[in-house]
Amino acid sequence: MKPLDPVALATPFFIVSIIAEILLARFGKAEARYEVKDTAVSLGMGLLSGSAGLLTAGAAAAASIWVYRFHLFNIPMTAVWAWIVVFLLEDLTYYGFHRFSHERRFWWAAHVNHHSSQHYNLSTALRQTWTGGIAGTWALWLPLAFLGFPPSMIAIQKGVSLVYQYWIHTEAIRRMPRWFEAVFNTPSHHRVHHARNPRYLDKNYAGILIVWDRMFGTFQPELDEEPCRYGLVKNLGTFNIVRVAFHEWIGIAGDVVRHPRHALGYIFGPPGWSHDGTRDTSASLKAQWEAGQETAEKLDVAA
Amino acid sequence: MKRPNLASGTKGTRLNQAYLIQTAASAAAVAVLVGLAAWAKIAKPAAPLDEARARKLLSDDFPGRPVDDLWVAVDGKGALARSGATALVLCKMGDGYVCRQIPWAQALTASFRDGRITVNLADVGAPKAVIELAAWPPHKDLTA
Repeated sequence: MKPLDPVALATPFFIVSIIAEILLARFGKAEARYEVKDTAVSLGMGLLSGSAGLLTAGAAAAASIWVYRFHLFNIPMTAVWAWIVVFLLEDLTYYGFHRFSHERRFWWAAHVNHHSSQHYNLSTALRQTWTGGIAGTWALWLPLAFLGFPPSMIAIQKGVSLVYQYWIHTEAIRRMPRWFEAVFNTPSHHRVHHARNPRYLDKNYAGILIVWDRMFGTFQPELDEEPCRYGLVKNLGTFNIVRVAFHEWIGIAGDVVRHPRHALGYIFGPPGWSHDGTRDTSASLKAQWEAGQETAEKLDVAA
Repeated sequence: MKRPNLASGTKGTRLNQAYLIQTAASAAAVAVLVGLAAWAKIAKPAAPLDEARARKLLSDDFPGRPVDDLWVAVDGKGALARSGATALVLCKMGDGYVCRQIPWAQALTASFRDGRITVNLADVGAPKAVIELAAWPPHKDLTA
């Protein structure tokens, strides 16, 4: 029997919903901005990410099956409780993966292209990595197989999470009901995650449940007084899809060649780390921004 | 001699065909969606840059960095600023903007031809910036 693939099943929905978002924006019924070359890059990245993923999918699946041979518990795929538990554990794993992918340059190099658009629309959701398999982040899901969740169950839940995260890439939906915003990742929460405003950097890593961010101190609500500016701290100056896919990897290689004594820092340090402190990390940008806020507040008080 | 497994070969061929059909259909869908986005003309509104907007964009990217001098492009599609020993470069990208910083000395030696300065940004993610300026380098730097 062919295994269930939520992403393949959802692909027609992806296409129809992008058409709907563009048409609604065109006729002034919804908030959405599409730039032609940006859209082409986003969709092209999505189209080719599947093929790129095939190169390492076999290794990832084989590793998952191998680890499952040593599983601790027998967890049946037919039990409802098993699906509830795998939903929670997979979502927690995703939170960890996602945070890791933002806080360490090696994994950021694979994830950065998802954030490289200055737009935030449904096509941005499909701007997926070509190098995630090579970065090896799939290993973070192996403990689930070791616990006893069948690899196909994990794969299905990963697909469900990916499909869930598609619809939240939109400006057309401002806020969901309060109870929903409290529990689930929403367009509002994820807009913050894609924003480059210093206040919003490295926040809201959630996949489906925003509760992980609330628990681990990385939650930041979207503020009406501070609209999101999307993209990277250093936005890309090219629509060349190959540069978009590989620019951070090339940047790492260049830094390692130029500064071999500091190679570990350039590979595994936070994005923006440099041995001489001449570059900005999220932390330094936030510090500069906070210093600016304090100065402005003091001037207000003095006035 | 080992005989080829015809059954699995057929299945493999079917899988390959299915993959090719799926990829071709997805590529066609991408072309339709990009065409639709072009037709819709719903990019961000792009008024030419003026000095105030250029300063705002630079302060977004370089918070707290003072701007000593600013040259806004003739066509309003970029700007170049001096901040101490650093040049802050701002150029249009699609309907957005990209900023980079380079040493001021490097900006001074950027090639200027046909009213356009081409700045090598030495960055694989933003290789160069082209900005239309009335003259370059600025007069006071020539006389200094």
